[in-house]
Amino acid sequence: MDIASGLLQGFAVAAQPVNLLWCFVGVLLGTVVGVMPGLGPPATIAMLLPLTFLMNPASAIIMLAGIYYGAKYGGSTTAILLNVPGESASVATCFDGYQMARRGRAGAALGIAAIASFIAGTVGVIGIMLVAPPLARMALAFSSPEYFALMALGLAMVVLLAGRSMVKALLAMLVGLWLAGIGTDLFSQTSRFTFGRMELLSGIDFVVVAIGVFAIGEVLANMEGREAAKALPVPKGLRNLLPTGQDLKDSRFAFANGSLVGFFIGVLPGAGSTIASFISYGLEKAVSRRPQEFGKGVPEGVAAPEAANNAETGGALIPMLTLGIPGSSTTAVLLAALVLWGFKPGPLFIGENPALFWGLVASMYIGNVMLLVLNMPLVPLFAQVLRTPAYVLYPLIIGIAVVGVYSTSGSLFDVWLVAAFGLLGYLMRKLDYPSAPLILGLVLGGALERALRQSLMMSDGSVSILVSRPVSAVMLSLALLVLLIPVFGKLNRLRLQAIEK
Amino acid sequence: MRAARADFWSGLALGGLGVYIIAQAWRWEYLGNDGPGPGFFPLWYGIAMAGLSLALVISSVRSSDGETIDWTGARRAFATWGALAVAVALLKVVGFLISFGALTFFIAGVMYQRRLWVAALAGVLAAAAFYAVFPLALGVKLP
Amino acid sequence: MKRVLGLLSVLALGMALAVPAFSQSFTPTRPVEIVVHTGPGGGADVLARAMAVMIEKEKLLPVRVQVTNKPGGGGATAAAFLAEKKGETHMIGIFTGVWLTNPLTSAEAKVSLKDLTPIARLLLEPAVIAVKADAPYKTLNDFVAAAKQKPGELKQSGGSITSRDNVVRQQLQKVSGARWQFISFPGGGERIAALLGGHVQMMVIEPNEAGEHIRAGNMRVLAQVSDKRLPAFPNVPTLQEAGFNVTPVPQVRGVVAPPGIPRENVAYWEDMLQKLTQTESWKKYVAENQFEPAYQNSAELAKFYDEFTAQMRGILQEAGVKIVR
Repeated sequence: MDIASGLLQGFAVAAQPVNLLWCFVGVLLGTVVGVMPGLGPPATIAMLLPLTFLMNPASAIIMLAGIYYGAKYGGSTTAILLNVPGESASVATCFDGYQMARRGRAGAALGIAAIASFIAGTVGVIGIMLVAPPLARMALAFSSPEYFALMALGLAMVVLLAGRSMVKALLAMLVGLWLAGIGTDLFSQTSRFTFGRMELLSGIDFVVVAIGVFAIGEVLANMEGREAAKALPVPKGLRNLLPTGQDLKDSRFAFANGSLVGFFIGVLPGAGSTIASFISYGLEKAVSRRPQEFGKGVPEGVAAPEAANNAETGGALIPMLTLGIPGSSTTAVLLAALVLWGFKPGPLFIGENPALFWGLVASMYIGNVMLLVLNMPLVPLFAQVLRTPAYVLYPLIIGIAVVGVYSTSGSLFDVWLVAAFGLLGYLMRKLDYPSAPLILGLVLGGALERALRQSLMMSDGSVSILVSRPVSAVMLSLALLVLLIPVFGKLNRLRLQAIEK
Repeated sequence: MRAARADFWSGLALGGLGVYIIAQAWRWEYLGNDGPGPGFFPLWYGIAMAGLSLALVISSVRSSDGETIDWTGARRAFATWGALAVAVALLKVVGFLISFGALTFFIAGVMYQRRLWVAALAGVLAAAAFYAVFPLALGVKLP
Repeated sequence: MKRVLGLLSVLALGMALAVPAFSQSFTPTRPVEIVVHTGPGGGADVLARAMAVMIEKEKLLPVRVQVTNKPGGGGATAAAFLAEKKGETHMIGIFTGVWLTNPLTSAEAKVSLKDLTPIARLLLEPAVIAVKADAPYKTLNDFVAAAKQKPGELKQSGGSITSRDNVVRQQLQKVSGARWQFISFPGGGERIAALLGGHVQMMVIEPNEAGEHIRAGNMRVLAQVSDKRLPAFPNVPTLQEAGFNVTPVPQVRGVVAPPGIPRENVAYWEDMLQKLTQTESWKKYVAENQFEPAYQNSAELAKFYDEFTAQMRGILQEAGVKIVR
């Protein structure tokens, strides 16, 4: 079935009023879920599964998919307003988004996030439409050496997030790597750094660290000031309530960069939106004319990761729909749902269920539009959240953090961890240790180690496997280049100094 | 406190962590017959951590940087964290609503020196809001 | 005479008191929780939700059923959670193979099936051995022979080294003398991707997952890891039929309950589950997912547990895994 007729059929399915309704319900629910830290799409979708048996499968998958990409929109809201990443993928949005809010430009940040998400989501859907099966087959060629190189590239980004002291940034990254290694080693089933505690057997959840370091750390830091009537300046004037033309212009490249990076990384099973958003952020900073402004509140610093994590949604659906391979926890639940309804996701799925597939694709277009329409007018409304006086807002943040963390695991131990990481976040702020490398190390550390060991197992111990394969060699060279950027910078400065003399 | 001194101590602490990691990694298998073992990776980043911490300590000793860290507000931050820790400890005993309400009261009243009745009201309202939103509306269990 | 009358009356009184105690049987009065050790979408979770739907459809319980996820620690968190709820009559848990093997290898996983109340064994999950469709191996013998010629060169993708994937490998290696590598991947998706991408040569996979790829022509199945042939694979030999004298170690799923619950409670659960396995919806579920029905009641389950752990200890020790209990 060729694309045009498929899409037409899909729109016919998606545009039915009942499906439009479910699409709306899905994206609305998804946005709400995304805003709540800790409560994520997998749990929500699972809770709604019994309900879906009463619906027809097309409506059901449209709604569930709506939740999936709607959550990405919602996650950025708390990231920007409260420095609380609603989803693990929103951490990179915190960097510049929250800083923009501090400068009184919360509305603009939220708007840029919504627009970036829309553009990227649409790109993602187009991607699914055009290149799904061939891309999936190409993704199969990606193996452990390539994953290792990808993770190495991601970690190399640390030099771009370093701030003043490279040593401290590297130390933070190493601590992140250590935290990632806590738990049961996959290959040998040895427990590492678990201090005899059963709760640490599966490692420390990323959400716990991110919420602790970012949200609670921020609250503690703000506690220092005695009189803080308002937490953040409330955006005044249209310039700050919505993104300006200049903002959009600055973010041109970020939209493209985020969409493509996010989409391609999404197609790889096992690589998720967190990695996509970090790499996209790093890439944006690397090619920017004003890299030193990153981290202080530049719109493209919000646009890039937001685009990346939304495009990743589309990308991740490809291996799920074309090969039956889930790429993330959310796609795993969606896959389980399809199986429960009696479908058999796999290579023949699209061919055998064209109405379902194209209906889903069409509804994703519609859903993205709905989300944009939903979110843009709400932006000024959300920005008013900042009006809450500090002495109410901060306890609320702490409360949301605690409930959010508890809702993922139901474990009091995790709540303790959040408090502990909050203290760590505060100390890191005081002592000028950047927190981004810590998160980077935590997110990528596990995957990096696994990929390295798998690669060496595949090559019987020979390290050359990492450079003999073309894709991994290219990425490792890129990583090396990134690592050398500071060196170039220093050489350049020395050269300029010499010229002045 | 001079920034350099803070670096000295944090560098020392991280160095200690690095040494601990190396010691643990030593006990595990470095290179199994199938491939690198569980000790492989930790050993290397432990060494890196120890090495970099040493560099930090040395640079902090040699530094003539006069920057200071303002610790005056820190007491309030630590006090707040202490209150948080107490609240978490109480979660098992009195549940989320009460301990959270108390925490809100503490922050509003003590930290921000709002009048006591305002603080109490804030505490009660906040707890009520959480109750309304989470268990009632969303079905999420509170600790 | 008086004494006889006195004795009789005491007996009668005793019986009158005892009869209500015996006829008092358990019925749930509030929602029943099923505890699973995976997050939403994971294997145990899907089974529990399917069971919840079936139980409500067939009206096997007078109350609602809900699923509680307690992920973490490879099952240790859920097991510990159940162990803490001593005497709780309205809670059961779904256990799988990892609940049995985890306490053997992990010092932190302190709760084993012995610390809980076994209720019933429900299912066995068979598996098949698959290779890529364009691989040169037409039978399991081909693969093993090739592995024998180049020891350590061929590769298998799978879960952790205590998983059934590796157990099958250990058994085959022992009985044939061949040796091939085992590479762990954290998720089923990645294992399949590794096979289809040509980075590993063989994997052990659930028949359901394999089914789709076989239909698409991507995979070929060499043998089945089960005692008798599955209905969906009538032409594929079992391990024994393929000439390998190994007894497949079963991958089980069943139900446990917290410790310290009354006898009637156990009997009630056993009864309910046995009825469940006899319903049409259950049989349909088992057939669709290509499980093997394998009901055992709680006494039989306890015995099975002892045999199974003894067998696993032996296998894991030979595989070089550290055993802690």
